Amino acid sequence: MENMLNKLLKMPYIVLAISIIISALFFMKMKENSRMETNLDKYMPADHPAFIYSDKAEEWFNIKDGIIIAIENPEGVYNKETLDIVKALTKRFQKMPEIEKADVTSLYTADNIVGTEDGMDVKAFYKKTPKTDEKLDELSQKVKSNEMVFGKLVSEDETVTIIIAAINDDVFTQEFYTHILETADEFKTDKIKLHVAGRPIIEGTMALLGPADMKKMVPIVLFVIILVLYLTLRSVKSTILTILVVVFSTLWAFGLMAVVNIPIYAVSTMIPVMLIAIGVADGIHLYSHLQLFMMKNPLAKKKEAVMDMIKYMWLPVIMTSVTTAVGFISLLTSQVYPIKYFGIFTAFGVLAAMLFSLTLIPAGIMIFGLPKVKAKKEKEENHKFAFNFAEKVIKYRVASMIVTVVIVVLSIVGIGKVWINSSFLDKFEKDSDIVLTDQFINSHFGGTSTINLVLDSDDKGAFKNPDVLKAVDKMQQAVVGNLELAGNSFTLTDYVKRMNKVMNADDEAFNTIPDNSDLIAQYLLLYEMSGDPENLWKVVDYDYAKLNVNFQIKSDNSKAINSVLAEIEKSKDDFEKLGVKMNYAGSGYKALIFTDLILEGQIMSLILSLIIVIILLGIMFKNIKLGFIGAVPIIITAVISFGIMGWADIALNTTTALLSSIAIGIGIDYAVHFIEQYKINSVTGDKLLTAQNTMAHSGRAILFNAVVVIAGFLVLLFSVFPPNRELGTLVSLNMFISFVGTVTIMLNLLNKTNIYFKNKKGE
Amino acid sequence: MKAIKISLILFALMITSNITINAQDLTALQIIENVYNRAVGDDMTADLKMTLTNSAGKERVRKIKQFTRDFGEIEKKIMFFVKPADIKNTSFMTWGYDEEGKDDDQWIYLPALKKTKRISSDSKSDYFMGSDFTYDDLGDRQPNQDTHTILREETINEEDCYVVESVSKDEEYMYSKTITWIIKDKWIGVKKDFYDEDDDLLKTLSVDKYEDINGFLIITHTEMKNEQKDHRTVMNLTNVKINDGISKSKFSERMMTRGI
Repeated sequence: MENMLNKLLKMPYIVLAISIIISALFFMKMKENSRMETNLDKYMPADHPAFIYSDKAEEWFNIKDGIIIAIENPEGVYNKETLDIVKALTKRFQKMPEIEKADVTSLYTADNIVGTEDGMDVKAFYKKTPKTDEKLDELSQKVKSNEMVFGKLVSEDETVTIIIAAINDDVFTQEFYTHILETADEFKTDKIKLHVAGRPIIEGTMALLGPADMKKMVPIVLFVIILVLYLTLRSVKSTILTILVVVFSTLWAFGLMAVVNIPIYAVSTMIPVMLIAIGVADGIHLYSHLQLFMMKNPLAKKKEAVMDMIKYMWLPVIMTSVTTAVGFISLLTSQVYPIKYFGIFTAFGVLAAMLFSLTLIPAGIMIFGLPKVKAKKEKEENHKFAFNFAEKVIKYRVASMIVTVVIVVLSIVGIGKVWINSSFLDKFEKDSDIVLTDQFINSHFGGTSTINLVLDSDDKGAFKNPDVLKAVDKMQQAVVGNLELAGNSFTLTDYVKRMNKVMNADDEAFNTIPDNSDLIAQYLLLYEMSGDPENLWKVVDYDYAKLNVNFQIKSDNSKAINSVLAEIEKSKDDFEKLGVKMNYAGSGYKALIFTDLILEGQIMSLILSLIIVIILLGIMFKNIKLGFIGAVPIIITAVISFGIMGWADIALNTTTALLSSIAIGIGIDYAVHFIEQYKINSVTGDKLLTAQNTMAHSGRAILFNAVVVIAGFLVLLFSVFPPNRELGTLVSLNMFISFVGTVTIMLNLLNKTNIYFKNKKGE
Repeated sequence: MKAIKISLILFALMITSNITINAQDLTALQIIENVYNRAVGDDMTADLKMTLTNSAGKERVRKIKQFTRDFGEIEKKIMFFVKPADIKNTSFMTWGYDEEGKDDDQWIYLPALKKTKRISSDSKSDYFMGSDFTYDDLGDRQPNQDTHTILREETINEEDCYVVESVSKDEEYMYSKTITWIIKDKWIGVKKDFYDEDDDLLKTLSVDKYEDINGFLIITHTEMKNEQKDHRTVMNLTNVKINDGISKSKFSERMMTRGI
């Protein structure tokens, strides 16, 4: 290997040219073939039972996410101006190609089931906008007396009314999103305000805001990294080459993705983050070695210096990269495809970075010459500092061990507090428009989020059975009554109760499920004859064997959804006795399950990769004990960063969960370089000196690496998008903990176990 | 004599053998009027089987016994549900008026409630009993409500047809246009395409069978398919009797409660 690398030194231009050409080819392929996958449904594992069921249920009942447009008039909604807007906007939405006509619900489209002394009417609330006060008042009374609409389409204080436009996930595009917002804007007047909310809007805003913010922040992050890299390496050439390693490896990872035709998922945007954190490490270690060599041998020729660098560094570079890559490949155990891809392509990127570090950096030095070693004095001071630091670490071993144990214990307690959040809304600032709009609608209506409970019976006609419908009604009342978060529920029972009341002269005492199953069947026939039967098929299937119960919730937060699920589950026994099974559907529920899956996969892969890393390190260093010691920085980093998340109330979500992968990548890097140096330095036979030399060499490089990446990612703290801020914090935190863990705990463990020294005695 | 308004798209038609006008000379309006003015008898008794199929392929079947009689200015109709069991003997009566602008009167009797209720629906664009037929589709539309154009002549099922496009004079009408295939000389519309407000094909009606009953041509098997929702309704008439002399008193609220 070393020979091969040395041979390459003779043809640096070819190495450089080939690197650039292949990268350029990948870049062209990327331009041609890369596409973002924004449909969240595509992220879900299609073969998971919960998703299979939910997808089926979505088809049975036409369950879709709704865009909610709230029309607010502080003077009340029952006036010509407001009602005209409702009508015009409803028609506009119905005409949009992305929206099916029947999927738009508003006061203008809603059916009003009313009772009269001698019969029943199913009518529109209005067709032509009423003008006279009398007619407007009549409309207000109609709405007020219809519990299927009042508080659902018109707020109880009568100042807000909503239009709901349900859309398929796959029709949502940036243009459509902008079009909706612009359309709503068009109808605004001085008096009347329009608010747009709903899950598609939240997802859409996130899909826009996240990348837009990143586009702004990434150049700054890179600039800071380059700057700090320059300050540590003290050489423009070295800085450029190190950055090239990162840039090229990222290009290769995304280029390969384009070649094999895999779209860019949201989590794929984490690949550059990983490659920046990991990719600069090799460069820094290489240059760090080079600088130290040159300090010792100021007269050495560049070829000599590079050959020395290769001689001592090729093995640790390969060891770290291969181990890290294997760590990422362990993400293949995840059930979620985007995560699998994330693992594979990050692993590929890491290996590409390895290749560039071993070929491009030496070639670069051969072509552009050695970096100048400036400020020699300062380096020596650094050296002294490292020596002192190593000495102190070993001296205060007991103290540092105790502190570590305390921190780890605290962290484990903190991990207990970690919670998973699949909420989209929680990713926005508390005072952002989107959150405020959501709160506004939630305060006037049942809730902007929906959970669909799907009841399933083998019995055709089960949901015409009064006992079953009564149980459903009871459960609905319990959930909405007991939980403030659950604002509304809606299903077949609401139709049946309404009709029973209306057919009995609007007597409130009949707002119940009748005891006679034939009567229920006849009511339903009656509704089909006078109303729009399409509405029925949104809550019950053709055979009356499946029922869709909608719960409206005032939050999409996982805690909220789980509390509603828990309340619903209390009725499980009741339904089981009736032969009815419970399942759930809808995007909110899927997101909840999905986040669990990601986390589960992440934890599995973390454990798996830890085992693999221990074994690999054990084999590489020919000592299983070293495998365990090498795993210490990873474990500490993972445990503490999860612990801090628990204490700081940062919820786990798809992005934050993935960040624990950084712990593996960085942890391995630090451990391997450090142990390798420790082994090389152990020839002195002096334990303290070995520690000190290692600290001066690897410790120094690790510090540089940590500082560079931390400085870069701290920039994200100034992001306007909270998830990006979390990302910055957590990456920095991971880097810092890895660094501290390596130079203190791991050093102590190496020192205490006498590893390389024991071997010597044995010889 | 004006033909009775036929509800379930049962355009019946008598071959008016004395038509001597050369087809070439017929205007589109005349063709439609010939369809409209076909004699189909004064009363009809039949068993109707209505099969609804949704996009998932699930079916619902309803069996109905129906009686229709033309009273001149009023057409009265009474239907008794036979199946499924839970709606057996539920009955439904409509009185349709020739007078323009006058809404139909409708009653329903629910045996489980033992009450007859009047129901009214907003417009003729409502779907009939969850089927793909609107009340309007089932009734006879007066020829002068639309502007008609002969598009071409075509052969369907070995029958020569006129293809006539009809565009409503009322802009608010639920269909932007309809295109009807009418068998020459028999004046039966065998196929009809309905286009929605956006001029997209919404529904297709096809007549699969018509029979000669008592000298009247009665359509006994039709299918309406909603092309946009992939939902279908098949209406199948059996035991059809024409001019059987249904009693005038049959069409009353009291009779509705009697069951079949």
